[in-house]
Amino acid sequence: MRTPFRKTAGKVALWILTFVLMVIMCVPGLWVVLTAFRPNAEVLAKPPVWIPEDPGLTNFAKIFGFAADQVAIPVPSYFANSLIIALTSTAIALLIGMSGGYAFARYRFRFKNGIFLGLMLSRTVPGIALSLPVFIIWSKLGLIDTKPGLIIVYVALNVPFTIWLIDGFFRQIPKEMSEAAQVDGCTRWQAFWKIEFPLAKSGIASAGIFAFLTSWNEYALASNLTRSTDSKTLPVGLMDFTAQFTIDWAGMSAMAVIIIIPALILTFLVQKHLIAGLTFGGVKG
Amino acid sequence: MAEITLDKVVKRYGKLEVVHGIDLKIAHNEFVVLVGPSGCGKSTTLRMIAGLEDISDGAIRIGGDVVNDLPPRKRNISMVFQNYALYPHMSVRENLGFGLKIAKQDPKMIEERVAEAAETLGLDALLDRTPAELSGGQRQRVAMGRAIVRHPEAFLFDEPLSNLDAKLRVQMRTEIKKLHQKVKTTVVYVTHDQVEAMTLADRIVIMRDGNIEQVGTPMEVFDHPLNTFVASFIGSPPMNLLPATVRGGAVHFTDGKSLPVPSRLAGKVRDGQEVTFGLRPDDLTPQGHGIAEGGERAQMELEVILSEPLGTETILYTTIAGQEAQGKMYGPRPVSPGERLVFDVALEKAHLFDAATGRSVAAD
Amino acid sequence: MQTKRPPFWQREKYTPYLLLLPAILTILFVVLLPLIFSFYTSFTGYRLIRPESLWQWVGLRNYERIFGDDDFWAAFVRTIVFLTIALNLEFLLGLGIALLINKITWGQRTLRTIMMFPMMFSPILVGYQFKFVFNDNIGILNNALESLGLSDGAIPWLVDTYLANFAIIFAEVWMSTSVFAILLLAGLFAMPRDPIEAAKVDGCNAWQVFRHITLPFLMPFVFIAMTIRSLDVARAYDIVDVMTGGGPAGRTELLWTLIARTGYDNARMGQANAMGYISIILSIAFTYYFFTKLIASRRYMGGAD
Repeated sequence: MRTPFRKTAGKVALWILTFVLMVIMCVPGLWVVLTAFRPNAEVLAKPPVWIPEDPGLTNFAKIFGFAADQVAIPVPSYFANSLIIALTSTAIALLIGMSGGYAFARYRFRFKNGIFLGLMLSRTVPGIALSLPVFIIWSKLGLIDTKPGLIIVYVALNVPFTIWLIDGFFRQIPKEMSEAAQVDGCTRWQAFWKIEFPLAKSGIASAGIFAFLTSWNEYALASNLTRSTDSKTLPVGLMDFTAQFTIDWAGMSAMAVIIIIPALILTFLVQKHLIAGLTFGGVKG
Repeated sequence: MAEITLDKVVKRYGKLEVVHGIDLKIAHNEFVVLVGPSGCGKSTTLRMIAGLEDISDGAIRIGGDVVNDLPPRKRNISMVFQNYALYPHMSVRENLGFGLKIAKQDPKMIEERVAEAAETLGLDALLDRTPAELSGGQRQRVAMGRAIVRHPEAFLFDEPLSNLDAKLRVQMRTEIKKLHQKVKTTVVYVTHDQVEAMTLADRIVIMRDGNIEQVGTPMEVFDHPLNTFVASFIGSPPMNLLPATVRGGAVHFTDGKSLPVPSRLAGKVRDGQEVTFGLRPDDLTPQGHGIAEGGERAQMELEVILSEPLGTETILYTTIAGQEAQGKMYGPRPVSPGERLVFDVALEKAHLFDAATGRSVAAD
Repeated sequence: MQTKRPPFWQREKYTPYLLLLPAILTILFVVLLPLIFSFYTSFTGYRLIRPESLWQWVGLRNYERIFGDDDFWAAFVRTIVFLTIALNLEFLLGLGIALLINKITWGQRTLRTIMMFPMMFSPILVGYQFKFVFNDNIGILNNALESLGLSDGAIPWLVDTYLANFAIIFAEVWMSTSVFAILLLAGLFAMPRDPIEAAKVDGCNAWQVFRHITLPFLMPFVFIAMTIRSLDVARAYDIVDVMTGGGPAGRTELLWTLIARTGYDNARMGQANAMGYISIILSIAFTYYFFTKLIASRRYMGGAD
């Protein structure tokens, strides 16, 4: 039916398309990464310098305060804030999510669908719209510009999605497993920790990574609920660069790389589980 | 003593009642099979005995104690699940020893018990594998091994063979029977397969729509079914059930054919009673092709529509009163469709059920 | 005869509620309570600089003012247009990419992993990245066009109305297409071979197979992707904020950036909350719509209950 020529032509077209796609996907990011390793003068040069002529780590040294002409932006404390806030909120969201996800996966109860829908809809509230009342209430409670203030918000932000994912992972484990363990002499609590938890562990870990990245990347709420080095996170800190009259593209790119790295590594780790979790939770209801 | 007693046990899901107050006494070391079509409440009953479902009403006793509010772990029972429910993250050895480990038994004793169970079931070579590396039959054996290591008061089986192919199912069936003879414990076994029930059980409990229809030994329920449901459920091919009317000491079918009322049932029917005439295919045989000659007989000439040779016997399809009926031909010869044969009806094995209630007239 | 019933918190019936309690409490405290509060403030003339104005009831005046405001309507319409274009493009491109990667056998895993990355990027980074790419002076795009001789001057990508909006949609599509691509690819992998083969035997050509077999099968996956996407459409706020800040002169203003400007920069909290409510209803409507579609298509497929 198909001639060999058409077959080969089709294959070539396939590869060209894929190549163009990958260029569009990768070039903007790669350009930022390249910029992070070159001096600002080279960024601004006309005609443009494509391949870095003088690559180095000076930009990183500058933003972390190891170089002579330090940038006036406290990146180390932003980094520490981001890490503390993301890790703490992830840990709490996972505990809450495990408990809730287990309830949805294993029990039948009144208002089950209603509660599930309610939790999911809470996630749809745009961060910026939520930030207004939270900002007012948090100022009354003295939570503005504190780490706990942001942690609480991020827990709430992550709980619905964590429940969705973990529910899916628990569903994949047959109910009979836990029943067998209970007949074998376990309490429900023991059956959970000895049988169901170990089986869902990798799925739960990927839900955790997803929650971590959500917190790590969040901007709309953080930019309005934080003020100072006490609680400002990296994405908010990135905007500090644009506040200056001349944008320090090189420094900003170096900071961008710092924000990207965890995302790249963690994405690579969870990709398989994440797809499984999203589709399973969705398709099999 | 591990006697299990069910006393007016009811199960409701919200307003829906699925088990309607059943009574059952299971003796020590008895092998009891709960059998019935899907949705008859047999699995729910078993799960209530295991403690995996709440009991809505009534009481269940194991060894004399009411266990209604005891969680599964305190009932000292073990269970083999339909999908085996082996723990995929543990080796066979760990699977077998899990229950004892949870009970904080001495590691040496666990070791011994696991070895003992492995030997009983021929699992010695597989102890360090994980469930994923086992075949269906091997998984089945591990599931049984996990049940026996704890020396429980009773074994519960929930359709354990339904995931195996036909050949393996027969093989495992014999192994379960052998196992019961070896370990001698009370067994409650749930299945929808009446052959499994017949071959394994000391006593069969036939259930339908949340009620017990009949309890008895395999031969009792086969020879003396209490109603048309049991009659049609037990035995393969199923019993022929034909509508008829009793008139002047004979059973008249709608097409004008008639047979005498079996003498043992003569006093149990009244003139004009609408009945269902029950006859197993084994008891409807062409003349000269039955198993045993003699006894109370009647003859009927019938047209053969279809024949299915099975080797030692041939199933013959015919019509009585416009309904399909099956007969058997032992020591078969070729039969062509449309051929008319004279059949022997073994009247002493025939049954009569009241048409309105479906109950056997012999039971009243 | 009966053993004593356990206390209520140990009874099976209450366990699921107990397990869900932390989740429900968190959402109540961080989402529902603030939303009730913001609903109230949307009927007051609350300004951040005058705390006593929190008690100044103005009825529907905030809403009246918003609905009479051209800037609001401009932002509202722009947001709807933005979402329509972006979501449709993402779906079509995502479908194309999924079909493409599904055809490729060599290096498929690597491609899939690369596809995942934008999903995990901070929107603020995506915004920054494209602010850099589209910069009129030093951006890689203008540099490349000039080096290739395709343009002689600096094209004002982020200043011109149309170009700026194009740049923002480009960034948004770049960031979110992979959600569709990944999920549709998962759908293609999960697709049984039999119906396709049956259709081929029945005489369908490649397009008919796609139209009548593959696409209906993929629909639940499309709606999962749509539902997930509609959960975070407001992430576009981050992108716009860093790329143009809603400017120049409000020409790239979306509903969300307008809310931020009204609430924080102009300190009109009451009015901002009124707009916030409109954006919330918009988001919930989007999500609810796709969620019901998802349920319906799942039922249509018959497989899972």
